[in-house]
Amino acid sequence: MSLTTSRHRRARTAALLALVLLAAPACADGEGGAGPGAPVRIGLLASLSGTYQAVGKDIRDGFQLYLSTHDGKLGGREVELVVADEGNGAATAVPAATKLLKQDRVVALTGVVGGGSVAAVSPLLAETKVPFVGSNGRPELKDVSRVWHTSYLSDEPGEAIAQHVRDDVKGSVYAIGPDYQGGWDELRGFTEAFAKAGGKLANPDGKTTFTPFPATTNFTPYFARIKASGADAVYTFYAGSAAVDFVKQYAQSEVKDLPLYAAGFLTEGGVLNAQGEAARDIYSVLNYSPDLDNAENRAFVAAWKAEHDGSPTTYAMASYDAAAVLDRAIAAAGDDVTPDRVNAAIGQLGQIASPRGTWQFSPTTHAPVQKWYLRQVRQDGRALSNTVVGDLATVGG
Amino acid sequence: MAAGIRFDPYVVPALDGVAYGLLVFVAAAGLVLCFGVAGILNLAHGTLYAIGGYTAAALLDGGWPSLALALAVGVVAATASGALVAGLLTRVAARSHLTQALLTFGVALAGGSLLVGAFGPDDPPVRVPAALDGSVAVAGHRYAAYRLVFIVVAALLAGLLHLVVRRTRAGMLVRAAVDDAEMVAVLGVSPARIRVGVLAAAGALAGAAGVLGAPIIGPGPDTADAVLLLSLVVVVLGGLGSMTGTLLAALAVGQIQTLGVALAPSAAPFLLFAAMALVLAVRARGLATVRSAT
Repeated sequence: MSLTTSRHRRARTAALLALVLLAAPACADGEGGAGPGAPVRIGLLASLSGTYQAVGKDIRDGFQLYLSTHDGKLGGREVELVVADEGNGAATAVPAATKLLKQDRVVALTGVVGGGSVAAVSPLLAETKVPFVGSNGRPELKDVSRVWHTSYLSDEPGEAIAQHVRDDVKGSVYAIGPDYQGGWDELRGFTEAFAKAGGKLANPDGKTTFTPFPATTNFTPYFARIKASGADAVYTFYAGSAAVDFVKQYAQSEVKDLPLYAAGFLTEGGVLNAQGEAARDIYSVLNYSPDLDNAENRAFVAAWKAEHDGSPTTYAMASYDAAAVLDRAIAAAGDDVTPDRVNAAIGQLGQIASPRGTWQFSPTTHAPVQKWYLRQVRQDGRALSNTVVGDLATVGG
Repeated sequence: MAAGIRFDPYVVPALDGVAYGLLVFVAAAGLVLCFGVAGILNLAHGTLYAIGGYTAAALLDGGWPSLALALAVGVVAATASGALVAGLLTRVAARSHLTQALLTFGVALAGGSLLVGAFGPDDPPVRVPAALDGSVAVAGHRYAAYRLVFIVVAALLAGLLHLVVRRTRAGMLVRAAVDDAEMVAVLGVSPARIRVGVLAAAGALAGAAGVLGAPIIGPGPDTADAVLLLSLVVVVLGGLGSMTGTLLAALAVGQIQTLGVALAPSAAPFLLFAAMALVLAVRARGLATVRSAT
């Protein structure tokens, strides 16, 4: 009996508390946006815990690097950066985004590692009419009127390298990748463009081999199939620990002498250290490499190395660029920085100077039209690094 | 190349299945000891393997002495962790498996976070001794030298384990405790001490598997879960209390994961669990006897 009353009371207290919590921020900020002189509040959502925390931390650090090298200001305005943890995916991303959008009432949202998280957060963005400048995950979206990405679409790396592989390899190519949306997109981008260029897949049924994800940690049986197919080269996409397993086992397998081409994430960031010697000579395609020779990149890499061990990744670069995009958009939005004005200003930016080289938003997909680079894992001083060995196609839109 | 389609492409997967199976055996043997003997469902078992793996990543530098050092440190650390789990379990050991599972699962979560906190979120590189860091020709195929040597070492470990359980006094006590724990207590041996000993021994096995297996199933944030899952599958497939059953089950898991995938890649996602379900459906009586024993 006493238990039920206390439960009732507790429920009432909880309801009251919830009301207070909801009301408080609503009173504090009548409306999203910042008038003249007030700091501009930006929300950054990224995986600071869980499987993708290495990527998430690069995204956070890339954005903060832009702020710290620009006096903490974007568009001449003081910035208050509110960071929230995306966790492993949609389940943790939605409550964190809800807090940023409804409680903190940020003027713009950036970051987000997972494509699934972006898809789950997009209804919230549509509801609150806050522009989103994503720096990594990019799912299939119907309405991109307030969604922008500084990264890439998942099928673009494969599309960009297909012609080069066709020209370089005398014979057939075996396509293999992880069995999930990202893997399908990455490999489809390659196989479609490769077929269009007249290339032939070595896979027995003419279709990409997909390995269970993330369950596959031993790739030896797949290497046996590649060997049996008589392929002359391999194209793949893996990221994270699967990339480490794939590359290390490939180097000791019976197909180790076949050239390996990949979407750049196979050897990007922390995974390259884990792969070590096994990664040597792998060709990959990416929109960035720390050794690109342009003024923006030299400044970016120097500033990054002053604060971090090792070279910046494409993830950090994309987030740095998201800050650059917001910098110019907020400046263009004038005195009254509202989400609507920032969004309109992003649409008018035109060419954007970046460590990756100059790029611009595609008017249809709101993702970059950018140049892709062919890189090879080579010795750079004491460490192995992704060295640019050539330009590939400009892809996007 | 197309001529050898029948048998030749499957040589390497079959060989790899043995390496993989033996690794899973060494990792799972500890779990079988825990569950079969001490009646403890230790869900932190995968974390003990991860401790060994991270030790290997931290200490291996490409030379033989570092391998010996990593093996010693990894085994000691995992043994200590196993004993720690036993200590935490003293108050709930007599309770249901659900209580033990909750407690050890909590230990696994906390331990996993501590490892990631200490070693970072990336999978650290593991450097095997330089002499083994390459591939050798086996029946006209290339195969990783380390894995070939690992097969020999793991087979030795399995043989040693068999001897210890069959021939030594400690092994006999442990087997006696499986059959009749009360009678062993009457003999003047505290079941609690056997429990601590078994959990520590299980930790040592997991630690050794973690160090030696690090180049095969490497340390990382997901390692503990993956190893625990494989070990549980082996426990279910092999039945409890029998090292021979465990060995056969582990070798079967190895072949399913390699040869099975090479033969039927489209079935790869569910081959292992389909096999497990099949064994459970056919061998339901075996599992029932296990239930009544614990």
